[in-house]
Amino acid sequence: MTLICVGLSHKQAPIAVREQVAVRPEQIEGHLRDLKALPGVREALLVSTCNRLEIFAIAETRAAAQDLLETFGPVAAPHAVCRFEEEALRHLFRVTASLDSMVVGEAQILGQVKDAALQAQRAGALGPELSRALARATTAAKRVRTETEIARGAVSVSSVAVQLAHKLLGNLEGRSILLLGAGEMAQLAARELRSAGARELLMANRSPQHAEELAREAGGVHVSLAELPALLERADVAICSTSASQAVVTRDMMAKALKARRYRPIFLVDLTLPRNVEPSANELENVYVYDLDDLERVAAQNRDLRAAHVGKAEEIVEEELKAFLTMSRERAAVPVLARLRAHAESLARAEAEKTLAALNGLDEKQQKTVRAMASAIVNKLLHAPTSRLRAEAGQGPLGDAAAELFGLDGEPQPASATKATTVDKQRGDDGAVLPLLRRR
Amino acid sequence: MATILVHIALVAYAAAAAAFLTWLVRPQTRLARAGRALLAIGVVVHFAAFGVSLGVAGAGLGVPAWKGGQLFSLLAAVTVAGYLVLDFRYELPVAGAFVAPFTVAVMVPAHLVESNARAIAPEVSHSILLFIHVGAAALGTAVLALAFGLAILYLASERQMKSKRPGRLFARLPSLDLLDRAGYRLAVWGFVFLSLAIATGSLVSREATGLTFPIAPKQGFAVLAWALFASMIQARLVAGWRGRRVAMLVVAGFVLLIGTYAGLLSAAPALSGSAT
Repeated sequence: MTLICVGLSHKQAPIAVREQVAVRPEQIEGHLRDLKALPGVREALLVSTCNRLEIFAIAETRAAAQDLLETFGPVAAPHAVCRFEEEALRHLFRVTASLDSMVVGEAQILGQVKDAALQAQRAGALGPELSRALARATTAAKRVRTETEIARGAVSVSSVAVQLAHKLLGNLEGRSILLLGAGEMAQLAARELRSAGARELLMANRSPQHAEELAREAGGVHVSLAELPALLERADVAICSTSASQAVVTRDMMAKALKARRYRPIFLVDLTLPRNVEPSANELENVYVYDLDDLERVAAQNRDLRAAHVGKAEEIVEEELKAFLTMSRERAAVPVLARLRAHAESLARAEAEKTLAALNGLDEKQQKTVRAMASAIVNKLLHAPTSRLRAEAGQGPLGDAAAELFGLDGEPQPASATKATTVDKQRGDDGAVLPLLRRR
Repeated sequence: MATILVHIALVAYAAAAAAFLTWLVRPQTRLARAGRALLAIGVVVHFAAFGVSLGVAGAGLGVPAWKGGQLFSLLAAVTVAGYLVLDFRYELPVAGAFVAPFTVAVMVPAHLVESNARAIAPEVSHSILLFIHVGAAALGTAVLALAFGLAILYLASERQMKSKRPGRLFARLPSLDLLDRAGYRLAVWGFVFLSLAIATGSLVSREATGLTFPIAPKQGFAVLAWALFASMIQARLVAGWRGRRVAMLVVAGFVLLIGTYAGLLSAAPALSGSAT
């Protein structure tokens, strides 16, 4: 069994190509069923976001990658990358931890991977191998988020504005937002603030008709620019993006408003050039003025901060990957052990029965003693090989050598028939599921 | 026994300080959680130490002899308890990063001066007024210490917000609005306890020395601090002051209050009467 990943992302393909292969949410389950029906494919997972389409599959051989690649179609297939085994697993871990994202550290990808897993489960395409890998990838992603600062700090101008508004005002519920002008970025920031719980969205524009239209669309209230001094007394956040050639909000205007608002803090976001807010207004107490450069500087600082933590995040991913691989290899070693023990115990049992038949006339206690002796010999003989095979964890030559030496071809006997120890039984059951990475 | 318990509390506070300070560098939830748990353990053990100490003294509510460090030790315990309440209400691990080291800083010298026992004038040693005075003073100082901590955090955060170059600490700090509101509320409660402490203190002083307002550094600093907090509250209520001005007044008020304790440690305190 082998893990295959065939996929493309913003790193390999332009948007024109990505949009051709994008799978709509309602199509994903059908697509997964098609993938699972491909020859040799046992399990499949499809991660489809606006920046990537990745297929992770457990297949009998690497040859299945060709079939998976063909599902991308003639335009996208040349851009797609095929990864196998450890490399594919590493890619899954990195994607889930948002290390392969366009905006490194973005939070959505973890949810998208979890959704993809749910869809695969519903489509009956998710098996034990991919489930285990996904669970570990999710653990790695969570560690990356909590142990590094990779996801901290907003990295776009509008989200920096929203984050700073939170930093100043705390909970935005019940707050009043004033939108001066109808710039696209200002609308975006206003919408984000509104969705963060702001109670009131006041929209003023030179063109009353346009403002009214926008207010209707965004669920705000249209107000007149002539009321600006009164509006500055009321608003908690003012986002300015008018095309005025000089400052719309002056220091004097703000100073007067400040007394009237009893020094309640106000956040003035200036998103245009020439600037709409006099920069000196920032010198007033409880007035915070941020223009485009300021917001961009904070965004850049946050991007740098994230970049500085990428190394640590990669270390965590590698650590989790290594731990997962070790576990997989240990699991791979267990079937040999189970078969060896079953083989030895079956021989011992057969010989004991033969001996008991020859020694006709033994009572029940004596028969029990003979069987116990045979079992004890098996345990003592297998103690050292068992320890060594476990220590090797499927990575060395001993597993194959033991199978060869003892003629252990074929499936192990049912655990109940082997009378193996509880631990061995459990391991044997786990091992019955085909290991993801049996051998490197 | 009480000394052993105080040692255990001190170790817990020091471990909490380490957890919170590490949290500042590596903001992992488990570190903040560990810090809170250690502080909670420390404060429970610390109060148990006071219980044992009072039991041994067999003095009931009365305080026959205050060792110099005991008041500071009580102050530290009440500050930690206050912080835990504050943290439960507002979730402020960053304040823990200041409270825990502050507690250790108060406890260590408190231990060092422990041997310097000061007898209380016999006229007041079992007075309920003295008990209320000491309790209100400890509570007031603890609450104002927390308000002071939040005011410092406010000033640091406001400075970064104004400079538009937020540093590493900025991400750990709560919103300015929260710091301002919580700091003001604490300052108001601290003012109430301080008023009570001053009122009962003057009555105790009259019982012990016959003077209601003796002229001494301790009383002078306390009255100055009280006046500053009173004017801050008045400015907030009447003129709507908030933010930096209020934070600076809280800082100044607390510094004056510390002067009161410096006065307490200085010679000839009024309460000591015929002290050692």
